[in-house]
Amino acid sequence: MTTIDSNSNSNTQLLTGPAAWFDSLIEMSKKELLIMIRYPVEFIASFGQVFIIVTVLTLAGLMFSRGGLESAGDNSQTSGLVIYGFILFMFLSDTLWTIGYNVRREQKQGTLEQLYLSPASKFASLVSRVTVTLIWTGLLSISSAWLMSVMIGRLPFANIPLGAFILIMALCGTFGIGFAFAALTLRIKEAGQTMANMLQFAFMVLCAPFFPFSALPDWIRIISRFIPLSYAVDAFRSTLMGFPSGYPELAPIGVELVIVILFGLLMPLLGYWLYRREENQARATGSLSEY
Amino acid sequence: MTTIGKPSLSQTVSAALAETRLRLINISRYPGQMVLEVIIPIVFASMPMLLGRATAGDQAGANFAANTGTANYVAFLLIGSNVFTIVSGAFWHIAYWLRFEQETGTLEAIYLTPTSSVTLLSGVSLYSAIRSGGSAILAYLIGCLVFQVNPFEGNVLLAFAFILVGLVPLYGVAMLFGALVLKVKESNALVGLMQWVVSFLMGIFFPVTVLPPFVRAIALAFPPTWMTNGVRSALLGVGFFFGQWYLDMAVLWAFLFFAPLFGFWVFNRVETGIKRNEGVGQF
Repeated sequence: MTTIDSNSNSNTQLLTGPAAWFDSLIEMSKKELLIMIRYPVEFIASFGQVFIIVTVLTLAGLMFSRGGLESAGDNSQTSGLVIYGFILFMFLSDTLWTIGYNVRREQKQGTLEQLYLSPASKFASLVSRVTVTLIWTGLLSISSAWLMSVMIGRLPFANIPLGAFILIMALCGTFGIGFAFAALTLRIKEAGQTMANMLQFAFMVLCAPFFPFSALPDWIRIISRFIPLSYAVDAFRSTLMGFPSGYPELAPIGVELVIVILFGLLMPLLGYWLYRREENQARATGSLSEY
Repeated sequence: MTTIGKPSLSQTVSAALAETRLRLINISRYPGQMVLEVIIPIVFASMPMLLGRATAGDQAGANFAANTGTANYVAFLLIGSNVFTIVSGAFWHIAYWLRFEQETGTLEAIYLTPTSSVTLLSGVSLYSAIRSGGSAILAYLIGCLVFQVNPFEGNVLLAFAFILVGLVPLYGVAMLFGALVLKVKESNALVGLMQWVVSFLMGIFFPVTVLPPFVRAIALAFPPTWMTNGVRSALLGVGFFFGQWYLDMAVLWAFLFFAPLFGFWVFNRVETGIKRNEGVGQF
């Protein structure tokens, strides 16, 4: 029987270390990109979809303004609130949904077990699931921000470096949530999709991406304060809006930054630990290929 | 040699109902999904509601009334999101059924039975109407309870009539969409895009009168637009397109006769085309 020993020869040594990790991440991401471009309708549809969602939300918001459609373009604070929340929502949806969904797809196609027979990094495998999607979402975010600012008001752009830092930290945190969710998918299988939907809708209410936290009833706001992502949403849009009066709403910006940084650093570790734990459990019980 | 005759009407109905029953049993195995379908429209409607309340404050109702014709924005938005649930459900269920049969390789097997795919499609449509209609009504009642408005304001029976009459042309349009899925084979992307186009055209959170004339003309050629406005006018008195309920209802009846026949015709044509080109099993 042939065994693979990472110290046995030079070829297998190429499979370890940061260079090998990046190589495998790039190759795996390329594979995801290849799958993505094989479905051009999906590619175009996702773009069109974002524009229509933005338009629907904008028109809905304008129904509450004094001049209706004629007041479009007047209110930059409202546009900042909605657009920056929408951007975070798109990234969260991607990370939450895509990693678990891809693990599930490999399970259904029967290729998940085969992946575990290869010496390639499991972490790179998870990250690659979402890398291409995140680049695509970044482009979509820029386009939707432009469209919405045209429709409902000039977009406030204060403190861009700090805003970008908060976005990166929030993204790292949501990666962690994505890993944890992939772990959950390994355990609860098909019900994972329903759970992902539920989490997305819970996020839409509890983390207030499309409206200020002040719009929430007091008892819901208490729950929001226990979710780090709420602070990420609040800090991100408050920073980019230049801290207008009443913002940030949940805590002083210093406190929110500490929470967001801790979330960004610790959540990926926790999420990955949960994934590995669940994966080992699935391998031990032989349920890795069950679906 | 045994020949298989053309199925009788009762056999056709029986096959369609069997398909409906099969789908209903299947979804009953996922209670979490069913609960979610009731929650989604409420959460969805609450987004513009909370944004509007936060930005307009005490003037939210008055501003909304000036722009839409009713100060009851809670019911207006809930009606929009619930009719949207029914409409997007129709698209999802038809597309997902076809795609699922294609992916699992059973669509070709269906063509070997004496039951036509259109019969089964009718069964799926009935299942979809029961599932989405039930969720939408429940979501509307719960939503009104949560946001403390009276769900039985206005002419409830007339609102039901608009929904029931509107369902038939809706599934006719969904069959056109099913034909597109058979042809293009990317159901998720198409449904994802289509449901938002539909939400826009039917005026999910706004009256279609705010749309530019050209877009409004397209919206008015789409049955769910009449369905949504009919329900809103019956319950909230926002105003029928032609001033009287029976005129709007007559338009919906015209759709009722035309859309399903057109849907069947297009679906059959596409189906025959892909059968000739051996594309049924491809996905």
